[in-house]
Amino acid sequence: MTFIFMTFALMAILGGCLTILARNAVHAALGLVGCLISVAGLYVTLNAHFLAAVQVIVYAGAIMVLFLFVIMLLNAARPVTEENPVPFVTEIAGVAACLVIFAMVVIMNSFKAPAIPEAADRLQNGAPGPIGEALFTKFLLPFEAVSILLLVAVVGSVALVKRPEQQQEDLPEGELVGTFEGERQEVKA
Amino acid sequence: MDAVTPYLILSGILFSMGLIGALTRRTAILVFLSVELMLNAANLALVAFAQAWGDLIAQSAVFIVMTLAAAEVAIGLAIIVTIFRKRVSTNVDTLAELKG
Repeated sequence: MTFIFMTFALMAILGGCLTILARNAVHAALGLVGCLISVAGLYVTLNAHFLAAVQVIVYAGAIMVLFLFVIMLLNAARPVTEENPVPFVTEIAGVAACLVIFAMVVIMNSFKAPAIPEAADRLQNGAPGPIGEALFTKFLLPFEAVSILLLVAVVGSVALVKRPEQQQEDLPEGELVGTFEGERQEVKA
Repeated sequence: MDAVTPYLILSGILFSMGLIGALTRRTAILVFLSVELMLNAANLALVAFAQAWGDLIAQSAVFIVMTLAAAEVAIGLAIIVTIFRKRVSTNVDTLAELKG
């Protein structure tokens, strides 16, 4: 265990703690950003340079910006204060997490990583070229399926967030912003 | 102890933290954040396995997982915004109509 690993691991755990403990949703999101960036640093130590770059750009950049936008849009920064209707939820969660950790320890003791001497060379530092080759040969079908999935997600989110048409007609005339004047007059006539 | 074992332990810790968060947080957005933490822990384990076996396939799988996470966030946040418009709250306790 090197010094670099320990530093990034501590940062990741701190970020994760902030994510699940912070009262303010914005602080939780920023903690998750710190955690994601630390994990990107760990990817570099695991010979996955391109993946680390993508993690920072896509995950810590794009996805978390989307999260922050929605948190601020919904004014969800203030915490939920009412009594929790589920009894002992924290205890149940703690027990579940302990079970997961126990399973991890059991698996860890039985897991034996193969000693492949040329393993690090075969990864080629996780450069974009070799990863692209793997994506476009062995992972071609998942790759295409994921592109369709992304398209569906984009169309679906637009369809979900779009205001229903009826609501726009109900608005008083002065508030009809962004519709064409000529079009409205045509409808009236 | 192998070189990748500490990474797997860290992955387990992060996954458990995400699990605790997903079970105990009450706002839908914070539940989503915890799910992201769990996905990230799984990604870390995948990259550690790629290092152990010297195989780039695991690293490619991480790309698929990242894309799935992006799609999930897009749809999930749209659903949250729609629910918020209807009820002015994203508290998951009040959204229990589909129970049982």
